[in-house]
Amino acid sequence: MVEFHEQIISDLIEDPNGGLVILSSGLCLHKLISSLLQLHSPSQGSLLILSSSPPLKSSILRSLQNPNPNPNFHSEITSDLSATQRLSLYTSGGVLFITARILIVDLLTSRLPTTSLSGLLILNSHSLTETSTEAFIARLLRTLNPKAYIRAFSDKPVSFLSGFAKAERLLKCLYLRKLHLWPRFQVYVSQELEKNPPEVVDIRVPMTAMMKGIQTAIIEVMDACLKEMRKTNKVDVEDLTVEKGLFKSFDEIVRRQLDPIWHTLGKKTKQLVSDLRTLRKLLDYLIRYDAVSYLKYLETLRVSESFRSVWIFAESSHKIFEYAKKRVYQVGRVDGGKLDGQNKNVMIKKRKLKDKNKKEDSLPTTTNGQVVLQEVLEEAPKWKVLHEVLEEIEEERQKQASLGEQFLDEDDSGIVLVACKDERSCMQLEDFIANGPKKVMQDEWEKYLLSKVELQALPKRKKNKPKDPKGFGVLDGVVHIAPAQTTEHSSASKPEHDALLAAAKEIRKLAKKGDLEDGPQPQVVGGEHGKGRRKWKLQKTAASADIFLKEDDVNENMVTKSDESIVSVSVSENEIQKTEIEQAVNGGLHKDAHGSSSINRAVLRKHNEGVESTLMENAKPVPPVHFYALESDQHILDLMNPTVVIVYHADMTFVREIEIYKAENPSKKLKVYFLFYEDSTEVQKFEASIRRENGAFETLIRQKSLMMLPVDQDGHGLGLNSSVELQATSSQNLVTRKAGGRKETEKEMQVIVDMREFMSSLPNVLHQKGMRVIPVTLEVGDYILSPSICVERKSIQDLFLSFTSGRLYHQVETMSRYYRIPVLLIEFSQEKSFSFQSASEIGDDVTPNSIISKLSLLALHFPRLRIIWSRSLHATAEIFASLKSNQDEPDEAKAIRVGVPSEEGVVENDVRAENYNTSAVEFLRRLPGVTDSNYRALMDGCNSLAELALLPIERLAELMGGQKTARTLRDFLDAKYPTVL
Amino acid sequence: LSSHYCQSRNAILVSHRQKGNPLLKHIRNVRWNLVDIVCDYLLGQNSCALYLSLRYHLLHPDYLYYRIRELQKNFKLRVVLCHVDVEDVVKPLLEVTRTALFHDCTLLCGWSLEECGRYLETIKVYENKPADIIQGQMDTDYMYLLNHALTAVRRVNKTDVVTLGSTFGSLANIMDASMEDLARCPGIGERKVKRLYDTFHDPFKRVT
Repeated sequence: MVEFHEQIISDLIEDPNGGLVILSSGLCLHKLISSLLQLHSPSQGSLLILSSSPPLKSSILRSLQNPNPNPNFHSEITSDLSATQRLSLYTSGGVLFITARILIVDLLTSRLPTTSLSGLLILNSHSLTETSTEAFIARLLRTLNPKAYIRAFSDKPVSFLSGFAKAERLLKCLYLRKLHLWPRFQVYVSQELEKNPPEVVDIRVPMTAMMKGIQTAIIEVMDACLKEMRKTNKVDVEDLTVEKGLFKSFDEIVRRQLDPIWHTLGKKTKQLVSDLRTLRKLLDYLIRYDAVSYLKYLETLRVSESFRSVWIFAESSHKIFEYAKKRVYQVGRVDGGKLDGQNKNVMIKKRKLKDKNKKEDSLPTTTNGQVVLQEVLEEAPKWKVLHEVLEEIEEERQKQASLGEQFLDEDDSGIVLVACKDERSCMQLEDFIANGPKKVMQDEWEKYLLSKVELQALPKRKKNKPKDPKGFGVLDGVVHIAPAQTTEHSSASKPEHDALLAAAKEIRKLAKKGDLEDGPQPQVVGGEHGKGRRKWKLQKTAASADIFLKEDDVNENMVTKSDESIVSVSVSENEIQKTEIEQAVNGGLHKDAHGSSSINRAVLRKHNEGVESTLMENAKPVPPVHFYALESDQHILDLMNPTVVIVYHADMTFVREIEIYKAENPSKKLKVYFLFYEDSTEVQKFEASIRRENGAFETLIRQKSLMMLPVDQDGHGLGLNSSVELQATSSQNLVTRKAGGRKETEKEMQVIVDMREFMSSLPNVLHQKGMRVIPVTLEVGDYILSPSICVERKSIQDLFLSFTSGRLYHQVETMSRYYRIPVLLIEFSQEKSFSFQSASEIGDDVTPNSIISKLSLLALHFPRLRIIWSRSLHATAEIFASLKSNQDEPDEAKAIRVGVPSEEGVVENDVRAENYNTSAVEFLRRLPGVTDSNYRALMDGCNSLAELALLPIERLAELMGGQKTARTLRDFLDAKYPTVL
Repeated sequence: LSSHYCQSRNAILVSHRQKGNPLLKHIRNVRWNLVDIVCDYLLGQNSCALYLSLRYHLLHPDYLYYRIRELQKNFKLRVVLCHVDVEDVVKPLLEVTRTALFHDCTLLCGWSLEECGRYLETIKVYENKPADIIQGQMDTDYMYLLNHALTAVRRVNKTDVVTLGSTFGSLANIMDASMEDLARCPGIGERKVKRLYDTFHDPFKRVT
């Protein structure tokens, strides 16, 4: 345990009411929590843990088990447990993980004796708002058991910047008074982490010319898009910078500003918002994906976005496509044997794909005898560097080993850990280490060619829509519109395309044949990957190397350090180019020798080549390597105990985790390599993320000093009774005004709410309004206001979706069957605009897809249906209260029985959403042939969708009760994704 | 009344009270005639509409109630067409909602005269239309259906659908794909992979 964690805990425990802890990301929140849990003793009562994400939870459990395993210490409360089982857990005094939905229902139904609780931990508290269920829980808990503490945590300080004084509002709605801020630059933290820093090697890998070209082009397009956004005068200009554009949170900033006026925006602005998102992804993938996958992704984008996007038509994006293609292949003419220039910086292996010996083959390729595909298949520069680093590590190791074993610590696991952003990169690097770069690229290339064929066959989008991207402003004029054809390959000529298709066909043919007639023709491509020579600037810095900076002065540090301490060679650009040209020449010679080989042989040969790749041949041995995907969020440093960590993709959180890991094991030797692309947005983004977090903490510190928190935050002043009384009197007043002084009972209003609705915030707001919320499982409707009023609530998005799926029709139908006043509640969101569309979006004709048409049709078919249009959650609560004022209270027992098919004895007494794999059910119901009447039988008949995919038609027919629907479904499942072959 | 109706079966009959309402400009897809009727707009044999501007309602809060009472029980579908033309909507809309709900009227809201006009047109045009466009009968185009199914999984977008389709070849193959194969698709990150995989492989019912 690191010392500052102890400090945090003792600060937190001081206040018996609890508090909110915000710490820098990467400071191992899971360890902090588990240390806190160790302090819990069952005699205090049970401790509930709320809103933990699955990875966070498993890390907490792991670190709990770490020093002394104690399996019975904690458990999880799920809906599978019966009420009595839950009760015994609640009173057990243990540590219990629970979801907000179960907890709120058990609190409301008094199934949870609150006196047996010692307190509540709320993780991920940055995602809470005043109306979220956690706030509801906090309010109930405060009134039912004021002694219980509430401790909230977050390690995402940046998300506290969104909205006005978010931290303060959060404290208020959780009834807390203490805010604990623990930035990385806090004295205790930085002292401890910088006492024994690991040894750091920072490697800057130059990008290839093409990569640079793409990066520049993307940034240009981004900039152009941002300028366009600025022109719309709809967004705060200050936020619109390319740097901010690098982050996901940029979308949030923009959306938050635009949401209230979203319907007034033209298509253009909306498109810009989504284009910026796409561009950010492209920047990110440029660094993460190999050249072929990148090109493939780009082309998928082009097919799926085609007409709507603006960016695709900007001049610079033309460059993106151009360069991306050049990293993979080039097109030349057979006769001239020359390339169309521009590629001197790139490693090239020319190879003819055209087969002259196979003229009789009637493939369409023969028609364009002139075109030759030259594979470039540029490898990611980091690959080679990674390999060299690994070699170096192994070399050092062997040196050490030869010096004698005694130098090896026993806690030196010798494990080398490579940390990448995602699983995909991990797998690819693993593949690369095992099989060499050629094989990896070749595999990707083959996959690319195959999928190329499939993309090609996609039905082109409606071509009669050329009115679109008439370019505007900055993006203007550069447009080379001929949109009808641009869908595919604006830059690729027809013959080129055919050549690609031909190559793909060959590969497919081969795959089918499966046997290899030609033996491998190993070839030596002379010493291209040399001797571990350094081609990057290597900076070894002592002690607090520049990645582990004192975080407030990122930039200066970066600059100075890198100037003073370049240790190793940096080979000049020229030299690199020279080797590359040599290689190109070698490749060229080779091409002549094999000029007449057939496509399939070419492909095959390369395939074999890959295995005995040159790199592998002259490569020195490499130590065993473990890969770790940062996205998986597993905190594996403690498990793996690595001695070397190679940070392949930099990430602030992970860097901090390394620091903590080192601080906890001060005696351990730890070497950390950073692989950055030089002058890339990768570096920029990494630095900006640190700056952003520091900025967030500075803002929070300022806010903390200005906070105004009510004195009764501890909840003593607010008993349940007082709040209810208050509500009762006010509603009584309302009644006397409205209903001419009719005598109203003292009873509080009751609303019966479907369990599934506790995902939303409305039950919370209704309760705030003083209504009694009764959670039950409803078969018909979401809210029962009175014996005759049944409400189906739809947010705007739900409304559109359930119109399309037909579910709304079905729901209204059943509501009308059982209730005198069936109600559809259309609930808008406070933050968004209160309307479906702007006048200009309405169009000239009555069209079936318009929401107006759908609502009109619904009204025509269900004239008894009543519609409530609500501005917001709070407006809904007011409307409910008003509607209930002269109605009887609903009957819980009756409401539960409504619509349940009890006659057949198939009472489903537990139709709770959490018992279902909801997205699977939704998916199932969207498949053709699946209807309201047969989907339940399908779910009973097979365990999962994967199983369904394998069911033979006979079985489907049995389950679905008909050959025809079964055939529809089976055909759809098996339908070949459109392809030309 | 019925004579009017026979006269112009395909037109919206508009009460003289509504003469001069700028909304009429926006009724273009259907003919309309001014006649003497109790409701504001007669949209079919059994359906009628009252027009109410929220701004007017603020000045005359009882107006709607009296207009509804006049209608008596002559219509199956009685629409209150509410033009939302004030900023502060919560209170007036609550009153209108309450009145409409307890007096058997269906409330429809439009935010512009165009939208209000379109509601009137649509109800007239769709007078005898079956409900299939809202019953879930959908396009039978393969790509449409595939998109529709796969986007049931949160955050899966159209680009992902193309990627998945071209990688795996058929929906059955996608549903049966391993986590590793899913992860190899460009553009599909860790979380999406997990979400897809869980959707396909977790049992429909989680109960043990």
